[in-house]
Amino acid sequence: MRFQDKSVIITGGGGKIGKAYALGFAKEGAKVALPDIASADPVAKAIRDMGGTAISMACDVADEKSVKSMVDEVAKQFGGVDVLVNNAAYFMNVKKSPFWEMEVDEFDKAMAVNVRGSWLCAKASFPYMKKQGKGKIINISSGTALNGGQNYIHYVTSKGALIAMTRAMAREVGDYNICVNTVCPGFVVTEGRQVDPAFSANRVANRALKRVQVENDLVGTVLFLASPESDFMTGQLLNVDGGAHFVG
Amino acid sequence: MRFENKSVIITGGGGKIGKAYAMAFAQEGAKVSLPDAASADLVVKAIKDMGGTAISMNCDVSNEKSVKTMVDETVKQFGTIDVLINNAAYFMTVWKGPFWEMTVEEFDKAMAVNVRGSWLCAKAAVPYMQKQKKGKIINISSNVALTGNPNYIHYVTSKGALIAMTRAMARELGDYNICVNTVSPGFVVTEGRQVDPAYEKVRAQQRSIKRSQVETDLVGTVLFLSSPASDFMTGQLLNVDGGFHFV
Repeated sequence: MRFQDKSVIITGGGGKIGKAYALGFAKEGAKVALPDIASADPVAKAIRDMGGTAISMACDVADEKSVKSMVDEVAKQFGGVDVLVNNAAYFMNVKKSPFWEMEVDEFDKAMAVNVRGSWLCAKASFPYMKKQGKGKIINISSGTALNGGQNYIHYVTSKGALIAMTRAMAREVGDYNICVNTVCPGFVVTEGRQVDPAFSANRVANRALKRVQVENDLVGTVLFLASPESDFMTGQLLNVDGGAHFVG
Repeated sequence: MRFENKSVIITGGGGKIGKAYAMAFAQEGAKVSLPDAASADLVVKAIKDMGGTAISMNCDVSNEKSVKTMVDETVKQFGTIDVLINNAAYFMTVWKGPFWEMTVEEFDKAMAVNVRGSWLCAKAAVPYMQKQKKGKIINISSNVALTGNPNYIHYVTSKGALIAMTRAMARELGDYNICVNTVSPGFVVTEGRQVDPAYEKVRAQQRSIKRSQVETDLVGTVLFLSSPASDFMTGQLLNVDGGFHFV
């Protein structure tokens, strides 16, 4: 039980990947908070049904006030914040188009949720981590930032921004013994997701491990970065994509 | 006990960093094999004293025959090979000086031990991993390959070569469900190592986490890459240096 009684926030905890992280943490004893703009109630229920501790709450990560009340509420209920997983993202319903046809509102939305949102959650969690002299922040980027996925320039750009933000945050919070790292997932075929079979086959062929990536493939790395095993690793990009991209 | 009865080879297992890996694997149930050009007997004794299983053997990783004998002996005693940590390196006693003054013999030695040696160990271990359709290979690089430290061009170059070798191996072994990754440690002040205090202070200041790096800082990452938690991660470089370099 590596995370016994640890307080873990997983933004976007109601989504399928968020759920996989949440279950992974809960199984190892963590109390998990699952802010989501949609509802994470079914995930919280699944965790409580297996005897764990979980809360869900409505939160718009792009909004500072919403984030602050979410984090304060988590700290109140769980007694602090040990781990923050910035997983929430504007992604599933992005409007896809060539960048020269994209509207400013659409572009701004991706940056507000994915970039500003991750910063705001870190900003609000930092005082609690500072107080306990320890903390782990994990920013979820995407392989699209490495390969330049097409027709959603805002999403790709926002995910690249997180890689740089991680590095600057790592330097700013190192003195407080807080580690900040990025996890970069490949193309994940979450349960029930409809994908173009040709696109998926192409993704698989590009990997060293030639199979479809699923949400559980990410859990081990996120838990590793949240655990004391990675205490001297900060500012890094951990790319979990079955060996499609090699970075550095 | 993540590694109960797993067979783990740690080359250079008699050194201080090798020992840190070996103790951690043994504590989690692994049977560890510790080839070394010097002797790893003391590490084996430490593991046996705590009730674990370990063997040591003399091995020159740059020599194909020596490597093959070592791997086969490990398999004979432990049944197979689940994890290979390519940790042995020509490092502590390298000749230091500008590259235009280095001799070919000195250059070749670093490449023979650090690069050819890692390849030879993988070459000998892979058939056993292929047979069980599972395996983990971890090549220990160094963040001197990221910084380009002066005055030991052969060592720096050999550590850079491992990063590329990892990637090619990962692609060649993916179909066998064998993961190959690189760990890149920062400057490690191993127990008892004499370092210039002023320079060590500068190094600590360059990090996000401003302290000296010790051998146990690497253990968690090496065990993670050897465990099923990293089963979909291959070909990657995991840099463990307290947040000095970002790759």
